[in-house]
Amino acid sequence: MIGAHVVPTDRRWTLPSIRTLGDVTDAVAAPLMDRSAGRAWWLAAIGAAVLTGIGALAVGFSFWYGPGLWGNNTAVVWGFPIANYVWWIGIGNAGTLISSLLLLTRQEWRASINRFAEAMTLFAVSMAGLFPILHLGRPMYFYWLAPYPNTLQLWPQWRSALVWDFWAIVSYLLFSVIFFYVGLLPDLATLRDRPGSRFWRRIYGVAAMGWQGTPVQWRAQERLHRTMAAIAVPLVCSVHSIVGLDFAASLMPGWTESIFPPYFVVGAFFSGLAMVVLIALTIRRAMELEGVIVPAHFDVMARLILASGIVMGASYAAEWFSAWWGGEAADLRVVRFEFTGTYAPFYWAMLLGNVAAPQLFWARRLRTSAPVLVGVSVAVLVGMWLERILIITDTLSIGYEPSFWRTYAPTIVDFLILAGTLGGFLLLLLIFGRLLPVVSMHEVRKLVAKEAEQQR
Amino acid sequence: MTALAIATFAEEGPYLRARVAAVAAQRRIVGEWLPYASEALGEGEGERGIRAAAIIVGVIGAVGLFALTTWSMMVAYPLNVGGRPLWSWPAFIPAPVEFGALAAGIGGIAVLFRNARLTRLHHSAFEWDEVARASQDAFVLAITCDAGEDANRVLALMANAGATHSRLVGA
Repeated sequence: MIGAHVVPTDRRWTLPSIRTLGDVTDAVAAPLMDRSAGRAWWLAAIGAAVLTGIGALAVGFSFWYGPGLWGNNTAVVWGFPIANYVWWIGIGNAGTLISSLLLLTRQEWRASINRFAEAMTLFAVSMAGLFPILHLGRPMYFYWLAPYPNTLQLWPQWRSALVWDFWAIVSYLLFSVIFFYVGLLPDLATLRDRPGSRFWRRIYGVAAMGWQGTPVQWRAQERLHRTMAAIAVPLVCSVHSIVGLDFAASLMPGWTESIFPPYFVVGAFFSGLAMVVLIALTIRRAMELEGVIVPAHFDVMARLILASGIVMGASYAAEWFSAWWGGEAADLRVVRFEFTGTYAPFYWAMLLGNVAAPQLFWARRLRTSAPVLVGVSVAVLVGMWLERILIITDTLSIGYEPSFWRTYAPTIVDFLILAGTLGGFLLLLLIFGRLLPVVSMHEVRKLVAKEAEQQR
Repeated sequence: MTALAIATFAEEGPYLRARVAAVAAQRRIVGEWLPYASEALGEGEGERGIRAAAIIVGVIGAVGLFALTTWSMMVAYPLNVGGRPLWSWPAFIPAPVEFGALAAGIGGIAVLFRNARLTRLHHSAFEWDEVARASQDAFVLAITCDAGEDANRVLALMANAGATHSRLVGA
């Protein structure tokens, strides 16, 4: 178990070990400024750097020899790159969505998780953005996706889903950077004002932009944070809806479904939440943040995973029902192929991870059990990754034209590029954990003060 | 010469009490520094224009990109794609919507910087150690103490409200 069983008390979201405002600052800032990185951090960082390097080499080989090194073929033209893109951007969508939704609905528990969830968004979207560029075939011309006056007098083809993706990724990434920074400003001032290395205090000082914490500044920061949260919710939904439209706007069996945009948004939230749980478990232990990330947080996140898993199950059922009710031969063939075709074991594994595994969270004790949380979160992440792959391979392997049916098998280069992005994501998270507060100190201070007040 | 009485408070309650007492005693509040966004702050200076800027800049961004899209597809590069109309407006919507949201964020943060007077890395308030405490764990209040006035009375006002520490500066 992560800790004591969840018992409703006045102090639900922090432990009694965090009594004062100073305790919050010390708990979060001390691992950054007062402690060295430690052996585990270095081992993880070296491992992540090696993975990133391997991925970079695989990308280099792909640039040199071309996409022929990948498993993509004349029918399954999207393959790993687009599946990985969809998976990463799904994870990336959850951070800002969770943070902004919980801010707008005034959920106090967001204070402990929003910072690293937002950082996760930035890093996952950065990884996601690499794949469409790699998949272009001529990645050196990726900037042609941007509209700018040029001597060729060419303009982007705005009807293309590729151009929609470009705007979705760039806008979402930059918006998320601003949202992250607005929430981070007061904490940068905290790091600036703590005793420690003069060099880093100067860096934090410049980044804090002269933040003092006056009422005028707090009001401005709060107003912008809420305004951006109100914009972020539809933005996040639209970003993953656009990813869904990449498929739904086509004319392929199994893809032309109006349910795709909302189904993709829920899937993104689902996989991102699973990643948030894994990160929360890791930093809670590694950075000794047991006082501010408590069992109740895992309990509520597990409930959300359970609810999302049910919605995912309903979405899959809606897909099967649509194919049966529509009666289109090609659609029915795709559904049969999903359950009995070449990739059927992966499809069953996907259902196991995305629909069956989260059902464990009906049991209250399992929602706060670290091994179960890790197991279900990994199952969901693998399940969602399989879903992204299978959406592409099931449809493209068995489209309308039988002469065009091809099976798909990824190559080692495909896997190495995926491993490289996993390494890059982990490396960025590790660096983030050493440079910036992983928990929003000013928001947890407010929470601690409120819970202390309620106790009186 | 007017001095300042500056006091730190460990919790929000005493700070708010001191604030009320200072206003009741017709003291001028010169500065306040808080470790979090207290709900007692209410609405006031600092918020003005942020939502408006986000909305206006967002709409300008979205409409501007939609206009660029329309112009580039109809005038600059009128390409026939499978017989679809040149002005395929539904397909032109996703990019401006996304960019509009980004533009709104940029407009909002620009006004945040202006309203909160950020980018001023050097400020006289940073010379007081108490202000540094405000970003850690304390509420800080600075009020005037006029020349010839009994400074102890002013400091007592803070202490009675629950200040953990108070002192006169600039006397």
